[in-house]
Amino acid sequence: MIADRMIEQGTLTTEGGRTAIEVRIPWYRALPGSCIAGAALTIDGVAAPEESLRWTMNNRTFSFGELVEETDEWWFPLDSAVLSGELPLPDPEAEHEVRVDLKLYIPYITTDHGVLHIEENDTKTMKVGQR
Amino acid sequence: MTGLGTPIQGVTLYSFTRAFHSRQYDLDGLIRKVAADGFGPGLEIIGFSSLRGFPDRIDDSFVGHFRDLVSEVDLVPTSLAVNVDTGIRRDRLMNHDELVEYMRKQIEVASRLGFPIARVQISLTPDAMESLLPVAEKYGVTLALEVHAHQHGAHELILALRDRFEKLGSPLLGFTADWGATVSGFAPSLLEAYRRRGASEALLQQVVAMWNGFYAEGPPTTEKAHGERFGAFIGLAARNGRPDLGIDFAINGTGLFGPAPIDTWLEIMPFVRHVHGKFFGIDEDGEEPSVPVRDLVRQLVENGDSGAISSEYEGGDGNNWQDPFEIVRGEQAVQRSAAADAGSRMITDPAEARSILNSHLTQPVLG
Repeated sequence: MIADRMIEQGTLTTEGGRTAIEVRIPWYRALPGSCIAGAALTIDGVAAPEESLRWTMNNRTFSFGELVEETDEWWFPLDSAVLSGELPLPDPEAEHEVRVDLKLYIPYITTDHGVLHIEENDTKTMKVGQR
Repeated sequence: MTGLGTPIQGVTLYSFTRAFHSRQYDLDGLIRKVAADGFGPGLEIIGFSSLRGFPDRIDDSFVGHFRDLVSEVDLVPTSLAVNVDTGIRRDRLMNHDELVEYMRKQIEVASRLGFPIARVQISLTPDAMESLLPVAEKYGVTLALEVHAHQHGAHELILALRDRFEKLGSPLLGFTADWGATVSGFAPSLLEAYRRRGASEALLQQVVAMWNGFYAEGPPTTEKAHGERFGAFIGLAARNGRPDLGIDFAINGTGLFGPAPIDTWLEIMPFVRHVHGKFFGIDEDGEEPSVPVRDLVRQLVENGDSGAISSEYEGGDGNNWQDPFEIVRGEQAVQRSAAADAGSRMITDPAEARSILNSHLTQPVLG
C-alpha cells in the first residue's frame, strides 16, 4: 500500500557481522506484533539467514517466532522498526542494494482462505551510515 | 414525505494517509490544516492510524489536548473509525466475549474524545451488534457499521444486520454507507498506479474488462459469489505473468470498487447514520470519473439525510504524484454543487453542523 516507503533511506548499519535497516509500515494503521508474519533482509542479492532475523520496535527486540503471540506491542504508522540479521558487509564504503520483504496480516479482513495477508517489498541503494 | 436533507461536509484523515505517514504533518498539524483549508466542519479519524497507544494507552492528558485543539479550530468530531480485528491472533479468531471487550475499549475512547459515532466493521454479526448495544448506550456512542465493498446495501449480510437493527429499534445502531460499494468504473488513478508498477496496457485492459463484466452482472449478493470474483482477478494476473499483482487486483477489484447500483442504498437508508464519501480522484473537468458523487449526494438530499459525509480519498492506492489536499478540495466542491443542484446545500458552518448532527443521530430509526 505504501511499499515505496518501507525502507528508510540512509539507515543501513552493520556491526560484528550483523546488519540492520530501519523499516516503515507499508499500511495505513498500526498492527500488533502478531500480524507481522515474516520478513526477509537481502543485501546485494544475499539474504540473511531466516533464523538470524530480529525485529525491534518500541525498544523491544523479538524473533519472528516470538512475534506470533505478541498482541500488546503495536507498530505505529509513524515509527521505524529495525530489521536485522546475520549478514557481514565486508566493504562498508560501497553502495549496497538493500531489499526488504515483509508479510503482514490484516486482522479485520477474513476470507474463505483465512485472515488476509499482504506481501510487500522495497529495494533501495545506500551506503552504510555513520553510527 | 421527509424534507430535503442537508448533509454535513467533512473529511476523514484517512484521505491524508501519505502526508501523515511521511511525517509531513503530525496529528495536530493535520487537524489544523483541515480547519484552515475548510475541509470540515466534520472531522473523522481512525483510532489505529492517528492515535499512538490506541485504545489501551490513551491518557486523560491526551484526551484534554485533543478536545482543546478541536474546540480551538472549531471542527466537529463526527466518527471515530474503530476496527474489528477478529484475526489478531494467529491460532484462531477472537471469540464473542473477546470481541465485545475489544470493541468496548475502542468505543470508550470514542466517547472520551467527543466522537458521537464509532464506525464499526462487517465482522460484527447481528448477535455481536446486539451484544454491543448496552455498550453503545453506556457511552452514548452510535455504532455505525460500515457497508463497504464488496458488500453493499442489498447484500445478505447487510440485510440481516438491517433486520436486527429494525427489531432492536435503537437510534444507536445503524450503518456507515461507503460510496466505494457503488462505483461505476475501475478508477483511472489506480490504473495509473499499476502502470507505474510495470503492468502492461494489455493486462490493464483485461482487468478493466473483467471489472466491467462484473459491473454488468451486478454486485455479488453472497460471500460465495464474491469469492469467485476475488479468485478470477488472481487468475487473470497469473495468466499474464504478473502473479505478484494478483492479490492486489483482487482486493481492489472487489473491495475498493464495488459494482452495486446506487439504489441498493435505499434498502438501508433509514439506518444510514454516517457516510464515507469514498473517491479515487478528480479529473481535469473537476469531476470524479468512477464514483457517481453527484447522484449519491442527490440521493441523500432527496431522502432527507442530514448526517455527515466524510470525504474519503483513497490515496493509499499508490498515487504519490498528486496533492491529496487539492483532490479533496475538488471532491468537496462537487458535493456542494450536487447538493445545490438537488435544491439543498451542504452544511459548512460548525455551529449549524453540531446542531444538525445531534438531531440526525437522536431521531428514531423509523418514524
